[in-house]
Amino acid sequence: MTDDTPTEDTPTIEQPKTEDRPPRRLQRSSSDRILAGVAGGLGRYFRVDPVIFRIGFGISLLFGGIGALAYLLLALLVPTDGEPDFAQRLGGRLQSRGLWRGLAAIVIALLAVAGLIALTGASALVVALGWGVPVGIAVVAIGALLLIAALRGGGARWLIPPAVAIAIGAGVASASDLNFRGGIGDREYQPLTAASIPADGYRFGVGRLVVDLRHLDWQRERVVRLRLEMGAGQANVFVPSDVCVAGTAHVGAGETEIVGERNSGLGVDHSVGSAASAVPRLQLDAELDVGQLRVINSDTASVDNPGYGPGPFHEDTAPLRAAEARACGTG
Amino acid sequence: MRDRLSIDPVCLGAGLALAAVGVLIVLASSGALSVPLGWMAVALTAAVAVILLLSGLVDGGPRRHD
Repeated sequence: MTDDTPTEDTPTIEQPKTEDRPPRRLQRSSSDRILAGVAGGLGRYFRVDPVIFRIGFGISLLFGGIGALAYLLLALLVPTDGEPDFAQRLGGRLQSRGLWRGLAAIVIALLAVAGLIALTGASALVVALGWGVPVGIAVVAIGALLLIAALRGGGARWLIPPAVAIAIGAGVASASDLNFRGGIGDREYQPLTAASIPADGYRFGVGRLVVDLRHLDWQRERVVRLRLEMGAGQANVFVPSDVCVAGTAHVGAGETEIVGERNSGLGVDHSVGSAASAVPRLQLDAELDVGQLRVINSDTASVDNPGYGPGPFHEDTAPLRAAEARACGTG
Repeated sequence: MRDRLSIDPVCLGAGLALAAVGVLIVLASSGALSVPLGWMAVALTAAVAVILLLSGLVDGGPRRHD
């Protein structure tokens, strides 16, 4: 019996042709990545350790951030070797719409956001300088304009973002009683007698205020009343170590450090020596919107020590508290 | 033909919200009303929410092309 079925052709084995190998492609690495795999892809493409590119991108941040921009562009333009990630999808979308149009849109959007943030800050500053009522009236007027525009079919929606930015800045500033009236900069007072202290106290806007009461004749003055009102910044009051400090301080947002006791946060109400009747005594009534208020009972502290960095009073406040206890007769 | 009596709900809502916030700012700044920061934050958030909600309802949402 013969097998007359046609025989199949013997399969031939295809030999790979080395000359048809595809050219190397720059692709972001999906396996060797920290952010978007740009350094990993560059390292593989150039056959060098990707760490070199990572260090290069890191160092470039210190010189104007051009490396960050290059990294961002590479992340958007260079595809990954794995599943398309967010950067690739975003890059593809930008390219389909025209890359430059996309980049221009991003720049315009960033500028618009920056402008709105600046508008918010500016309106808060204007309110803090005492123009809260006019700004509020302006917001009402813009609201009225929008109402009129709405009844006429619209066309004034572009007014909404800047109006909201103004309202947010003004609203926060007015509700938090921000008060920058009274000047901006550095003020230092060293009254020699209690009579030379203003009856309504010291008022200051923004900056650094120093009231050094160590030059008073405390044996003669006995009880000195001091009122402080300040917008934003740092207020330092210095008294001799043998003076009892009593009274209250309110800080809207920030920190109080009074005779070695610290409080911080929002709406800080700090009272010290409330029942003290000892003399000599400083009777304090202080109000600060934003910042740091310090009352330092030390004979040696320097008024030039701003106190934000490490300093003798931030390192150890126990001597100040001990001095206060002795001066107020509670120790 | 364009409807001359059409009203833009986004502008309407934004106008009302901003006018209300503006009145609050005037009262707080003049000292006629003590508005705590927390309540002002609530008012501002509500105003922004109204605008975003109306904007989403009027212009947003899935669009069918069938």
